[in-house]
Amino acid sequence: MHTFHKVLIANRGEIALRILRACREMGIRSVAVHSTADADAMHVRLADESICIGPPPASESYLNPVAILTAAAISNAEAIHPGYGFLSENADFAAMVEEHGIAFVGPSPEHIRLMGDKVAAKRACRQAGIPVVPGSDGPVENEDEARAVAGQIGYPVLVKAAAGGGGRGMKVVQAESELASQMALARAESVAAFGNGALYLEKYLSRPRHIEVQILADHHGTVVHLGERDCSLQRRHQKVLEEAPSPALNARARARIGKLAAQAAATLGYRSVGTFEFLYEDGEFYFIEMNTRLQVEHPVTEMVCGLDLVREMLRVAAGAPLGFTQADVRFSGHAIECRINAENPQTFVPSPGRVSDYHAPGGLGVRVDSAVYTGYTVPPYYDSMIAKLIVHGPDRNICLMRLRRALDEYVISGIDTNLPLHHRLLQAPEFIDGDYTIHWLERFVRGGD
Amino acid sequence: MTQSKKRPAIDLDVIRELAQVLAEASLSEIEYETGDCRVRVSRIVSAAPAAAAAVAISPSPVGAPAGETHEADSFAGHPGLLTSPMVGIAYVAPEPGAPPFVKPGDPVAVGDTVMLIEAMKVFNPIKAHRNGRIERIFVDGGVPVEYGEPLLLIV
Repeated sequence: MHTFHKVLIANRGEIALRILRACREMGIRSVAVHSTADADAMHVRLADESICIGPPPASESYLNPVAILTAAAISNAEAIHPGYGFLSENADFAAMVEEHGIAFVGPSPEHIRLMGDKVAAKRACRQAGIPVVPGSDGPVENEDEARAVAGQIGYPVLVKAAAGGGGRGMKVVQAESELASQMALARAESVAAFGNGALYLEKYLSRPRHIEVQILADHHGTVVHLGERDCSLQRRHQKVLEEAPSPALNARARARIGKLAAQAAATLGYRSVGTFEFLYEDGEFYFIEMNTRLQVEHPVTEMVCGLDLVREMLRVAAGAPLGFTQADVRFSGHAIECRINAENPQTFVPSPGRVSDYHAPGGLGVRVDSAVYTGYTVPPYYDSMIAKLIVHGPDRNICLMRLRRALDEYVISGIDTNLPLHHRLLQAPEFIDGDYTIHWLERFVRGGD
Repeated sequence: MTQSKKRPAIDLDVIRELAQVLAEASLSEIEYETGDCRVRVSRIVSAAPAAAAAVAISPSPVGAPAGETHEADSFAGHPGLLTSPMVGIAYVAPEPGAPPFVKPGDPVAVGDTVMLIEAMKVFNPIKAHRNGRIERIFVDGGVPVEYGEPLLLIV
């Protein structure tokens, strides 16, 4: 059996619609599940079947494994596609799905669990040949050991609380002369905040880019990489705009990191889609984490590769071989995605409400993934991202011109959106030149630069 | 039911024939396409027997095409309306063949079990939310119900 007849989509919004479209093109019947707040949503309207699984709070609907599995059972769905967010990286849910004889459209529960543990993920990836941020590899016992490690990885270094998080117990050390005093500060902060003074060291990257590599693997040992996406434009760790290829990589660097990622996925026995996320600085890649799911920004990869990643995920989950190898993967042109959020473009406060007028841009090389329509009410319960505008062009310059043109055509009335932010971004010389790091957008938004 | 714009005349015979096939085969929907003409005929499937292993999902109030009305719709907002707290299979009796928990006309008190809903092999008792008398029961045993679907009316 290399195809499904019916797939349940355990998600909402644009990604539910995205998956539904792939199902329809493959002749697979789709089952939408929804909360009462989404009874009029586009993914519900367009699905072959729909089942209301709970009240508006996600914890009682889209995050409710029992409700979703019950819906799959009564609709006789053979597979569940989790989309992104919600239960997509919940290993227990993936295991429950498989225990009920339903295919989970994604990696194995074991791989989800492994990559969900950040320490174990880093260790597994390093062993599989992925470059990681050099550091002390565990807590440093004393100042002498710290000095030795720092000397080895080179200054500046980052002193981090082993129990840390949220920036507390974290200090940048520019030179050896500062090491003792900064370690004392970090230890004091860590004891105060976490009741634990254990510290470790890591190389400090002052101006990295966020570059991630897309891989795709089947059950039969074939793994390909589909190039990278540059997702450095972030605000509060939320990606705002993504592009492929990265303006910072050349073909050789791309081939090198892509090959490492594909080999690592093969070593790990990984299947389905996955993304290795890296920080990139001075020509070196440093692994951050692996995402074991379809990503929001997957369309930019689709546009430059000419592949339908959801279709491939469904085929792989049904046991089909990829049917192509790395040599068949061709990269063509440039693609950029703008995430359109229902939020105030200055204050970033979410702006749910009724969309009184909606007109999506079109024309050559323009793709809009959205579940919004005129008269749709954006519910206040879920993520504020309501659309993705993806533009493809033969080169980055034409892509930028086309994106400006498409943004000008986009009309979303009745609610606030961040479209004005994207308009401003497309005029910024640093962005136009591709000269930006993960810190650039925060400064740009604050009005610096 | 959809039909191509190019064919203004509706071929009633085709529809009649499809409706017959639909009933004979106990299907909920048939889509038939020939040339540039496409006809879809659908109907509400009546309750499947409680013992049925695989239950076809009944068209839901939410997913149902515009214009269809649910028997319980006229009681929307009625304080006596008891709706399903979860998605699952409704059972009106404690076991197959046993008498139902309640019948129309029965008196009930708050907390009385009036139905079971099975979700993932767990049978969840559904309890009366007010004192009164069973006025109507909207679902049959063994049918799938959605979250929020009307189950019965207590007056």
